This record gives sequence, structure tokens and C-alpha cells, in this order.
Amino acid sequence: MNKTILKVKNIKKTYNSKIVLDVDYLAFQEGKIYAIVGPNGSGKTTLLNILNLLEKPDEGQMFFYDQEINKKSNFDILEIRRQMTLVNQDPFLFHYTVYNNIAYGLKIRGTPPKIQQNRIKNALNMVGLPGFENRKANQLSGGEAQRVVIARALAIKPEILFLDEPTANIDQRHIDVLERIIKTINKEIKTTVIFTTHNLSQAYRLADEVISLLDGKIIKQVPENLLWGEIIEEDGSKWFNVVENIKFAVVTEKVGSVYVSIDPRYIILSYEQFQSSARNSFLGKITKIIEQNHLVKLEVDIGVPLVTIITRESFQDMNFNLGSKVYLTFKASAVKLY
Amino acid sequence: MVFIIEGIQKAFQLIFTLDKEIFIIVLLSLRVSLIAIFFSSLLGVYLGFLMAVKDFWGKNFTIASINTLLALPTVVVGLTVYSFISRKGPLGVLGLLFTPSAMIIGQFILATPIIIALTHSAVQGIDERVRNTALTLGATESQSAWMVIKEARYAVLAAVITGFGRVIAEVGAAMMLGGNIKGSTRTMTTAIALETSKGEFGFGIALGIILLIIAFSINILLHYFQSKRV
Repeated sequence: MNKTILKVKNIKKTYNSKIVLDVDYLAFQEGKIYAIVGPNGSGKTTLLNILNLLEKPDEGQMFFYDQEINKKSNFDILEIRRQMTLVNQDPFLFHYTVYNNIAYGLKIRGTPPKIQQNRIKNALNMVGLPGFENRKANQLSGGEAQRVVIARALAIKPEILFLDEPTANIDQRHIDVLERIIKTINKEIKTTVIFTTHNLSQAYRLADEVISLLDGKIIKQVPENLLWGEIIEEDGSKWFNVVENIKFAVVTEKVGSVYVSIDPRYIILSYEQFQSSARNSFLGKITKIIEQNHLVKLEVDIGVPLVTIITRESFQDMNFNLGSKVYLTFKASAVKLY
Repeated sequence: MVFIIEGIQKAFQLIFTLDKEIFIIVLLSLRVSLIAIFFSSLLGVYLGFLMAVKDFWGKNFTIASINTLLALPTVVVGLTVYSFISRKGPLGVLGLLFTPSAMIIGQFILATPIIIALTHSAVQGIDERVRNTALTLGATESQSAWMVIKEARYAVLAAVITGFGRVIAEVGAAMMLGGNIKGSTRTMTTAIALETSKGEFGFGIALGIILLIIAFSINILLHYFQSKRV
């Protein structure tokens, strides 16, 4: 049984009299990977800063193992803070060599130079950048810089590694590399990893547990078909633009970037496109079939994967198979905005 | 015309024969200005840093005042310090007037606003993420502040060098507070003023050349640090 390494109770944070975070209870177990998901402004970064002891909540209690942090002296809090580290979304490398960047956390902890050298070497190996010690920070590519930042965090051997949107600003190739690194860190040195992401599938791929935040509160379950995109106005109506060439008709007053979800029970499947009042209809291919008791869950790729749920009876009647080409139809009002 | 050419000849002669009097004056000038700059840097970098990172009541007014002090006439500093340390002044008992210490005080007052103002803008130009990154890696508040100054190191050095350039070349305060006493408070600039009025052009030109070489070196250094800024 893993021990609880970090726990918060009833924490609240308010900025300019707006509640940005209101979490009743949250516990993290040693050695696990956690993903915190939620739209922009849902309080993810604030939560990370509070967990990492960089910001104080206005109310509530926090525990590191069994020690109540609020009751500690500043010196003890610094000691606890030094057992964790946060890698920001838009990370910064000091204008030094890679070596001196990674050495920083060790120097301020008074680590002897011999040990520093070793730790720096190991950290660079772990992120797949051996021999990068003497490179200057400004000579690195974006993906390399991201990995050096993680090496810098690993060198101090944190109990908990926080990563704020670690893959937000890098290309797909580096995302794969970074996901592998996160897995390795957790497996090989048993670091507890807590990261935030926009990408739900990434969250489920990497994490043992997914925590969803919405408007500063933890929501019990992530809705299916949660998508991130842009509300645009065209021909006098509002559209939700997910990826290029795919846009859903929606009913909203909002503009800009939003999350939407589509209840899988409200999506109709058919072989032929049919005339109806529903304004959204897309051709796609069935990529996954999961049978659950009397319901069947189908994943259909229309450019983005969408999940639909139909009864076992209609699944059998329609004779759907993997790879079948089908139309998905749903009303604009079935698209729920956050 | 002839006296100018003779003066220049005499000047090179003095420089290349390492004339003792000239070098006493040069060393005294450097000593006074370096000590003044040392203390100005301690205070100026600290205050400039605080002004950049802290918000306080009257901040804009303070910045405007500091910027005004950049153009502070050296004779006004001389006058002010003089009135304090002259025998009748409130600090008269210390007997500072016409000592190198008096010149150091005057030059300290001249250089500090420059270092404050330039450090302020140097630190303001530093990425906000520096402080935050240091904190996430376990730095204390003061360790993270030190990291910000280190990130601004070239620009802060440029601020210190600019301050030095101002005080090594000023004459008003040094003359009024030091009194131009031979061997004790005679600096390059005050000596040039005196020797010129005596008609000793060679001596004046020699010091002028040395002063120019120093100024040139300072500017080369400054240029080097400013180019490293980016």
C-alpha cells in the first residue's frame, strides 16, 4: 500500500474576490502519476503552485506525509518545498551552460561538487541528452530546452515532480519523447509525478489517476467527448472549430477558446446521411467497439475520435463492424459548452 | 601655435619617462573614484533592484527624481557637501573638508543615482520567469533575488562602469571638496585645470591624454558588456 505523500483539505484561493480554487479533498499517493485536466482558467496552475508551496491558499490545510504544512515555520516549509519541484509551462533556462543550469538547485542546497557532477550526468542521461553539459542554454532547440529543464528538476531528486502543461509548446516528436521520459522517471526513480494537460488522451495514457478541474472545483467524472477548440462566427451562425475542416454547429453566445462535450447518447449513427433538423452530420470510420452489458460503446473517427453509445439491440440490427463507414448526426444543442 | 606643439612634445616626454608627479595624481584619481564607485555600487545596485521588483507608494515620483539626479551639476554636489562638512557646517567637526574622503563623498553622490537608474532598467528588462524558476528549484527569496541580479549581470556591470566614467572625469566636486592640494587631493581633472591656468600646457596635456585613454578603455569595456546583454 502506497503512503499518501501530499494531501489537501478544504483549500480555497481567491483573486480579486473571484474564487479560482475550491477543493474539498485531494490526496496523492507516493510513486504514482497524476494528471490534472481542465480548460484554461479552471485553476490548474494555481493548484500546482499551491501544492508546490509557491503560493499560499487563503484557507485550508495541507499535509506533506503526516506533517501539517500550515503549522510549520518558514524554515521547515523551505525544507519541505525543497523536496519537490515544479517545471513551468513556459520554462526558463538561465543564461549559463546546461551544466550550470542543472547545478543551480544543487548549489543552493549545498550539495558537494563531486555529487553535483554525478547527479548532473545522470539527469542528462535520463532525459536522453548525455554530453550536453557544456552547451549554452541559448543554443538549444525548444525540445532540448524542455528536456534540460526536466533534467534540472530531476537532479535535485525531488519526492514530487510537478509539470505544468509539459507538452503544450512542443512538436509531436518531442511529445512522444517527453511522455517516455515521464514514464521512466516514475518507474526508475519512483518519483511521484503530478502534471497538468489539455490533452485528455495523454492524461489517460500516462496517469494512474486523472483529476478534472472545472472553475476551480474538482469534478467527479470527465465527460466523454471533451474537446478543446475555438468558437467562430460564420454566415451569421456560431461554429465550434475542433481541427481544420471539422466544425460543429453550436448554440452559444461565447467566442474564443472553449471546451465542449457531446453526450455520446445524443449521437445518432447511420449508414446513409439523412435529412433532419440536426445540424451536425459527419462521415467517419468505426475504430473501436466496446460492449458493456446491454450497451455498446463505439469510437468513430471523423477527424477527431468521438464516442457514441447505442443499445446492444441496435448494434446488432445495424451490423456495425470495425472499419464500417458511418454517419454521426447530432443536434447543435447536444454540444455542451464549458 | 608653437606652444601647443611644445606642450604635446612635453606631454609624451612626461608620460614615457613615467613622471612621478603625474603618476601620483593618476593613482590618487583612480583610488578616490574606485572607492566612491565601490560604495555607490553597493547602495545603487541594491536600491535599483528594489525599485524594479517592489511596488511602493510614490514609485513613479521616485523614478523621476532619480532620473533628474542623473543630470546633477557637479558644482551643486560640491556646494551641498561643502556646506555640510565645512568647519561651520553640521559635520564640520569631522574635519573632512579638503581630504580625499570629501571627494569620495561627492563622487559617491554623483554616481549613485546613475547606478540606481541603470540597475533599475537592467533588472526590469529581466524575464519574470527567472525569479519563479529559482523559487521552484528551492531558492529562498534572497537567493532568487540574487539570481535575478546575476541574470542582469552584464547590464549591472555596465551601470557601474558608466558611474565610474562620470566620476573619474568630473572636476567641480573634486575641486571644491578636495581643494586641489598637491600630493593629497590633486586629481587628474583638478590638476589639468590648475596647470592650464599656470600656462603649463605639457603637464595638462599629459594628464588629458591619460584621462582620455582611461575614458576610452571604459567605453570599450562598456561596449563589450552591452553587446553581451542579449
